[in-house]
Amino acid sequence: MRFMVLVAQTVAAMFVTLIVADVVVRWTLPHTPRLNENFSAAYLQRAIREDHLSDKIVVIGDSALWGYRVKPQEAAIARLSSSSVQFENLSFEGGSPANLYALLRLMQADGIRPKAVLFNVNLKEFNAADSAYQTLYPGLEQLVWQQLRPEERSLLKPTRHATFDARADATLGSFWALYGMRADIREQLFGTPDAVTALRDQIESLSGETARAGAAHVPSPDKFMGTYDLSPLSGTNVEVIFLKKSVSLLQAEHIPTIAILTPTNHGLLHDYIDTPDYGDQLAYVSALLREHGARVLNYDRAFRPDEFFDNDHLTVAGNEHLSALLRKDLRL
Amino acid sequence: MDDRYIDVPDSRAPNEILATDPVYAVLGHSLTNPVVLGIICAFLAIVMIIAGPSTDSRFIYTDF
Repeated sequence: MRFMVLVAQTVAAMFVTLIVADVVVRWTLPHTPRLNENFSAAYLQRAIREDHLSDKIVVIGDSALWGYRVKPQEAAIARLSSSSVQFENLSFEGGSPANLYALLRLMQADGIRPKAVLFNVNLKEFNAADSAYQTLYPGLEQLVWQQLRPEERSLLKPTRHATFDARADATLGSFWALYGMRADIREQLFGTPDAVTALRDQIESLSGETARAGAAHVPSPDKFMGTYDLSPLSGTNVEVIFLKKSVSLLQAEHIPTIAILTPTNHGLLHDYIDTPDYGDQLAYVSALLREHGARVLNYDRAFRPDEFFDNDHLTVAGNEHLSALLRKDLRL
Repeated sequence: MDDRYIDVPDSRAPNEILATDPVYAVLGHSLTNPVVLGIICAFLAIVMIIAGPSTDSRFIYTDF
């Protein structure tokens, strides 16, 4: 009997400690200027519910607007934070029209109507060979999957499987913040997806491997062969379907919509995309957007080759240029 | 009677027992205290969660 009492006291002390830790996480985990690289479903849910999105322009783009390879404060959207209008950057690596639609549905389900929605349209994402094609970010998929209509779900390739493990993980993460936001906590603590990666990065940095990899990381045109599929776009393309659904939803909700045609490195990709077919795709997408009341900002050729890291990711100077263009075009 | 099974109490004073307990030396409490044991278990769980490998499935960006 005495042993059982000791076990009960131990378990009670453990649970109290975990609850205290959970409260600490909820209060202290910062609301970052952009989503973490490996953000969790719980973190996204918290951002949607607690970041006062109704007072902001919500940005839902891909890695180009997220600020790939630049620090959070150097990304174009973060640079707009000093303007009179507040921005919330819900862009992420692997963003696409399908992810845009999923995020809009999630906000709609929570009754959130942003001041405006700004997103980018990147033609490479309409390529069926692109890794983001008809795929949702796993954390977003976890939150929105049941809210999508069956015909919408059938267009997507699920990344999570309906196993007991996945359900238990999602359930545990939904009420235990420390567990649900573990990926975000790790990134805040280590600056990388996990401790092992942080340690490996340190070792590679000290051994000179990072410098060698950086020197070898020179994007050449041949690496982008097949990145863009320039066959004519049509209503059968899954990303076209979701782009149309997104702008239709925004139009029905009377939410001002701004679409950026993604800055693209024509200097690097000249051999592949400086063709009439590429222009036809841009025209197709622009017409679809305008048809549903979206304002289109064509930045496709607005940047010099030296403002890119690769095909569509802007350097620090490129991000500065993008924020200047947005300030001018949005009259901030 | 076989006295091998007789519970022989530790003849040392409680303070002497604690003085030789390495956990007590660090924490100022003995592991036999259920509250301390519970807190340690909770911290172990937290450390395992935070220091664990990131195996969550996510979009893997193709870095050229």
